[in-house]
Amino acid sequence: MSSNGNDTPVVRMENIVKRFGTVTALDGVDLTVNQQEVLCLLGDNGAGKSTLIKILTGVYTPTSGQIYFEGKPVQIRTPADARALGIETVYQDLALVNLMSITRNFFLGRELVHRLGPFNWLDVKEMDRRTHDALADVGIEIRSPGEKVEKLSGGERQSIAIGRALHFGARLLILDEPTSALSVAETRKVLTYITNAKERGLSVIFITHNMHHARMVADRYTILRQGKLVGNYDRDDVTQEDLADLIMGVREV
Amino acid sequence: MSTAAITTKTFRHWLARSPVVGPLITLVVIFLLFSVRIPGFFSLRTVSNIINATTLVGTVTIGITMLMISGEFDLSVGALVAVGGYLFAFNTIDGGSPLLAIVLAVLVPALLGALNGLILIWTGMPSFIITLGTLSIFRGGVWLLSGGSLVQTLDRLPVYEVFNGRLDVLNDLLPAGANFRSAMLWMFGLVLIFQYVLTRTRYGNHVMAVGGNPGAARAQGVNVKLVKVVNFIISGAMAGVAGVLLFSQFRSVRVATGAGVELDAIAAAVVGGTLLSGGSGSILGGMVGVLLISTLRSGVVRLNIPFIPADNFEAVVGVTIVAAAVLNHWIRRRA
Repeated sequence: MSSNGNDTPVVRMENIVKRFGTVTALDGVDLTVNQQEVLCLLGDNGAGKSTLIKILTGVYTPTSGQIYFEGKPVQIRTPADARALGIETVYQDLALVNLMSITRNFFLGRELVHRLGPFNWLDVKEMDRRTHDALADVGIEIRSPGEKVEKLSGGERQSIAIGRALHFGARLLILDEPTSALSVAETRKVLTYITNAKERGLSVIFITHNMHHARMVADRYTILRQGKLVGNYDRDDVTQEDLADLIMGVREV
Repeated sequence: MSTAAITTKTFRHWLARSPVVGPLITLVVIFLLFSVRIPGFFSLRTVSNIINATTLVGTVTIGITMLMISGEFDLSVGALVAVGGYLFAFNTIDGGSPLLAIVLAVLVPALLGALNGLILIWTGMPSFIITLGTLSIFRGGVWLLSGGSLVQTLDRLPVYEVFNGRLDVLNDLLPAGANFRSAMLWMFGLVLIFQYVLTRTRYGNHVMAVGGNPGAARAQGVNVKLVKVVNFIISGAMAGVAGVLLFSQFRSVRVATGAGVELDAIAAAVVGGTLLSGGSGSILGGMVGVLLISTLRSGVVRLNIPFIPADNFEAVVGVTIVAAAVLNHWIRRRA
């Protein structure tokens, strides 16, 4: 981890274009995330925020454009590629499998197994233990790691998805609208996780509709409108009203 | 909290954690009810007959349950049972290598299963529709393969005894009436293997996730398409095994062999607690579902109820499926 004195951006996306058939969802967008920084990605519905993030995490492949990770050009073709680079994502719509236990969700796609020749079987005990410890470590208390996710509240589910990303995310944490369906207290918790992640040396991309939440944690803003980049703004250079106007395209700053 | 309250809570927890418990209790209760009403029902003869009657549907249900948990259907298995049956028959009746017969009878249906899965991936159409089509196509293939003729033999070849011989080693140890057959061991063996795969391996975890929330599974790096294709292969292979067991039992196979087995298997899976929408279920539950339906069949026929003649048994299965679906939903909400 080289967050101090390293000014190579964690991620640089250049001139990203994404078309779905005849619809241009992203039209030459750039995005930069610096070391140990919380970047807020802002924009109205349909501005292209989620599409841009899904390109960075390997869910979509861009029509054209280049991604650099830690300064090196990379191809991110699958979510597994993104994870291998140390990018962890919490999607608003694709977080957890409700019918499965907390542990099975936590380790989904990277289950711990015992091996004997060609056979492997799940090390449930160790996964339960690590799930409990990892969540406790970031301040999330769960009753039992064997509990099914469907029994948890929305806030608890969001916490677990974030806890998982924090535990496995080596470099960059992406949160897609993590506060959109939460209570005030739960929202405050989630915002604390973001600040904590930054203190641990991670960079964070925080996607939100809520300018108030954005202002509480952001170092920098990147604003999209109708698939185009509006601009990048430092925290202190813009007011909340400026942000609102920029998002809606009322005026330029 | 009183002890009774704690016990109730633990019991509910147990019900919620293990989807097989509810259907298992139902199976035992129904068996005991029939035992009270029907003289001679409570016997090893009944038990062994019930089990022997399940080997075909039971083996198919293993694959169907895996597939349903991953969120897909396979209606083509009935035709694949016939494919397996004919390939096994052709390569055993006039001599030939039993091993080759078995390999072909399992491998070809498995490949046809893979074809189902690949069509699903290429077209993105619902598997219900795709396999409704391939059911007829594969049945047509069976017709071409067989020339439309029945194949049968009177020879009791050793390979038939291996798959469906009397288990006299076991039967002789038990009280008179026990008539267990080796097909049961193959079926239960496969049930245990796939139950283990589903609940204790990485692959099983992925199957559950793919059915429960494919987007979340994909976002966590699970290869959703691969899991589905592999499950279609398993489903095809199990149908092939069922064909082998079937021919070993009756020593005959015809074009219509296995017709309707796909719906029996789906019914058994649902009765055994597997969600039609995927994401939850168990192989053991599917087995309990098959045994439950077989027990009902056996009991209802012997009860001799005027308005439910043996021919009208399907109505009883229908009632069972609806009741099981309602019960499972209720348990899921309450527990």
